[in-house]
Amino acid sequence: MPEEAARARTAYAEVTDADVVSGIINTYRDEPGNLLPVMLDINRHFNWLPRPALEHISDELKIPLTEILRVASFYNAFSLTPRGKNIINVCLGTGCFVKGSPRLLERLERKLGIKHGETTEDMEFTLEVVRCIGCCALAPAIRVGEATYGRVNPDQVSKIIDSYIETASL
Amino acid sequence: MKIANLEQLKEIKARGLRLTYPDKIKVMVGMATCGISAGADKVYAALTQRIAELGLDVVLAKTGCIGFCQREPLVDVIYPKQVRLTYQAMTSETAVALVDALKEGRIYESQSLCRIDQEDFLVEGVVRPYANPHPPELPPEFPRYEDLPFFSKQVKISLRNCGFINPESIEEYIARGGYQALCKAVVEMTPEAVIDQVKASGLRGRGGAGFPTGLKWEFCRNAPGELKYVICNADEGDPGAFMDRGILEGDPHAVIEGMAIGAYAMGAKEGYVYCRAEYPLAIDHLKTAISQAEGLGLLGEKIFGSDFSFKLKIREGAGAFVCGEETALIASIEGRVGEPRPRPPFPAQSGLWGKPTTINNVKTWSHIAPIVARGADWYASFGSGNSKGTTVFSLVGKVNNSGLVEVPLGITLREMIYDLGGGIIGDRAIKAVQTGGPSGGCIPEEYLDTPVDYDSLAALGSIMGSGGMIVMDEKDCMVNVAKYFLDFTRDESCGKCTPCREGTLRLMEMLEAITEGRGQEGDIDRLIKMSELIKKTSLCGLGATAPNPVLTTIKYFRDEYEAHIRDHKCPAKVCKPLITFSILEDKCNGCQLCRLRCPVEAVVGTKKEPHQIIQEKCIKCGACFDGCKFDAVVVD
Repeated sequence: MPEEAARARTAYAEVTDADVVSGIINTYRDEPGNLLPVMLDINRHFNWLPRPALEHISDELKIPLTEILRVASFYNAFSLTPRGKNIINVCLGTGCFVKGSPRLLERLERKLGIKHGETTEDMEFTLEVVRCIGCCALAPAIRVGEATYGRVNPDQVSKIIDSYIETASL
Repeated sequence: MKIANLEQLKEIKARGLRLTYPDKIKVMVGMATCGISAGADKVYAALTQRIAELGLDVVLAKTGCIGFCQREPLVDVIYPKQVRLTYQAMTSETAVALVDALKEGRIYESQSLCRIDQEDFLVEGVVRPYANPHPPELPPEFPRYEDLPFFSKQVKISLRNCGFINPESIEEYIARGGYQALCKAVVEMTPEAVIDQVKASGLRGRGGAGFPTGLKWEFCRNAPGELKYVICNADEGDPGAFMDRGILEGDPHAVIEGMAIGAYAMGAKEGYVYCRAEYPLAIDHLKTAISQAEGLGLLGEKIFGSDFSFKLKIREGAGAFVCGEETALIASIEGRVGEPRPRPPFPAQSGLWGKPTTINNVKTWSHIAPIVARGADWYASFGSGNSKGTTVFSLVGKVNNSGLVEVPLGITLREMIYDLGGGIIGDRAIKAVQTGGPSGGCIPEEYLDTPVDYDSLAALGSIMGSGGMIVMDEKDCMVNVAKYFLDFTRDESCGKCTPCREGTLRLMEMLEAITEGRGQEGDIDRLIKMSELIKKTSLCGLGATAPNPVLTTIKYFRDEYEAHIRDHKCPAKVCKPLITFSILEDKCNGCQLCRLRCPVEAVVGTKKEPHQIIQEKCIKCGACFDGCKFDAVVVD
C-alpha cells in the first residue's frame, strides 16, 4: 500500500526537492507531535507548502492529507500558494497601528501594485501583514525577509523596497 | 564538564565574572531585535572594523535590551573598576568617533545617556560597585542611571540581567548568581517547600489571568501520574507587547532556571517552551541556552548530583493568536490545529498528551529563581494588596520614552506614563491608555491615578493582561481602535464556537459601518447587547474577552461613537470616509511639495500659486498634510 501511495503522488518541481523533504521529516521522525515542526521547516525551505511535499508528509508520517491541509490553512505562517523571493511583513501591532503602520501598508500596496496577501507577478515580493513583531518601541516597523526596520515613514518604506529591487537586478 | 555541586557552580561563576567584567575596557552593544531594527548591527560592524583598524585592545561584546528601546542603538563602555557609560542613538559614524576617543584615552562625551556606578546582583542580594571606594568624576552629561526617570521607579526582577550580560553566555548568567536557586531547590529543599515558597510569595500568573502560581503548581504536583510536563508560554500574541521577547532574547537562562525549579517542584521530567515563530532571535538564543545548560549538566540527568532529571525542548508556533490559550497551545504542541477545548479537565489534571501539565508565561517563570533564592517575604515586599511583586510592561504608543519597564504592582498609570514614559509626544493631550491587548480595554485620562494591579484594572473594565500598555492621544479615534481590535480577534478566532466566530464578525461589521458614516441610531445598544452575549457564551478566553475593547470605548468614549453615528464626523479626524483634506488659500504659497507628494495627482496648481485638492481623486492618504511646512493643508 505505501508504495502505491508514493507512486500516486504529485511530482516535485525539482527531483532534489524530495530529498530535502525526506531530510526534514527524518529530523523529527521520532518526535511526538512532529507535524508542525516538519511543516514549518518545509514552509521555510520553499517559502510555501508545495502539494507534493504535503503528500510526502502524509505518506511518511501516516497522517491523512485532509488533516495536514487543515493545519496548513489554520496557521498564519503557512502558505499554500508560492510566495515571492522577498517577503515583506508590515507590522500591524497596536504600537505600530497608532504610529501609522496602516499608511505604510497603503504605500506599499500602491508601490507594488498588489494587495496584502498577494505576490508580485515577477515573484520578487510578497506583501503580508503581521500582528506584532515585538518592535513596538520603534514603531512603526516592517520586516523584509529577516531584516527588521524600525521607525519607518511612508517615504522611507519606498526606499527600503527600492534597495531590494536594486540588489535583485545586480 | 557537568556541575555536580555548589562549589563547581562557583568555579564557573568566577570564570563568568572575568568574562562579564574583564580587566580591559569592554564595549557592549544592545543587540536585541529592537536594537537591530534601530541599526545596532551596523554600529557593531563599525565598532568591529574601527577597533581592528586601530589595533585597540578592548573587548567587544553583545548584550540584550536594557529596556530603553526608544534611545537605541545603545552602546556601553565599561571601564574596569571605574564606571560603565551608556551611549544612546549611536550610528556607524559616532561608533567610529567613540573608538577614536578610546584610542586617545579620553571620555567620549557625545550621545551620552547615563553612567552606571553599580550593578545589583539581584539573586544574591548584593550590590557590586564598579569603583571602590570612589566613582570617578564625570561631566554632567552623564547623569546617574538611578536618577533617570525612566529607570528610577523600576525594580528589575524579570529583567535583572537584560542589558547586563551576554545572553549567549551561560557563564555570564552564572556570574550574576544564575542557577544558585536551582541548586538550592534541588539540594536543600523538598518539592513541597519550593511550592510553599512560591505560594507564600503571592506570585500570580503574569500571562494575564493572574491565577496564583503556587496553587497551580500544587494542583499539578498532587495530580496522580508518573509523567508530568511543564510548559512555558512564549506565544506572545498580544499586539503591542514584547516583554517575553525582551526576556528570551536578553536572558533566556532566567526562564530555563525557573522552569527547571518548577519541574522539580511538580515532579515533571520534561518541558516545552512554546515560542512564536515571529521571534527568530529569541528562539535562537533559547536554543543556545538550552544546549549550554545541557553541557554543564544543569539540564539533563541527575541535576546537581540528585535524582532529579529534566529535559527541555522548544516548539515553534506557527502564527495563531489563539495558541496563547493554554488548551489550544497544548493542541498545537501535539501537532494539531490550535483549537481550545472546554475546561475542566484543567491541564493540571489532563494536559499535554493527557498528562498533568502546568503552563506558565515567560515572565512568571523568570520570577521563580529570585523567589527561591531570596525567599517569599522578600518578593512579597514589592507590590500591593493582592498583587505582589513586579511585572514587566511594554510602554509604547504616544509616549516620549517607550520601552520595556518593570515596576512594582500598585504603581499608578499616571506614574507609568508621565514619570517613566516622560509624557506624551509633542505635549499633546492623552486620550486613553490601552492595557491587556485585544482582551483588555481603553482607560481614559480621568482614571490615570488608578493603581496598576489585577483588581483595579479589572474594576475599570480592562485587564492587566500580559503587559502591553499602549498610550493613545487626541489624534487616535477610539471607534477606530475598537474596530482595529475586533478586526484582530475576528481574524484570529479559531472558528470552533459560534458566539466568537460569528459574534466578532457582526461586531466588526457594525464598527465598520459606523466608521464609514453608515451608522444608525441604536447601533451602540446593539453593540453592547452583542458584546454581552459573546462574553457569556464563548468557549475560551479569546471570545470571552474579545468585546472588552468595544465595551470600554463605549463606556468611556460614547460621545465619539455618537459623533460618528449622528453627525457623520470623526472627532479625531482619522476615519477616512468622514474626513476631507483641503488647502487654505491664504496660507498656501505654492511651494508644490504637496503636489509632488500626492500619489494620485489629486493636488493641482502652478508654482507660487495656491494649490487645490480635487476631492474625487483624493484617497485621503495624508501625504499632503504631512508634507506641508506652512500648515496650509487642513483636515475636517
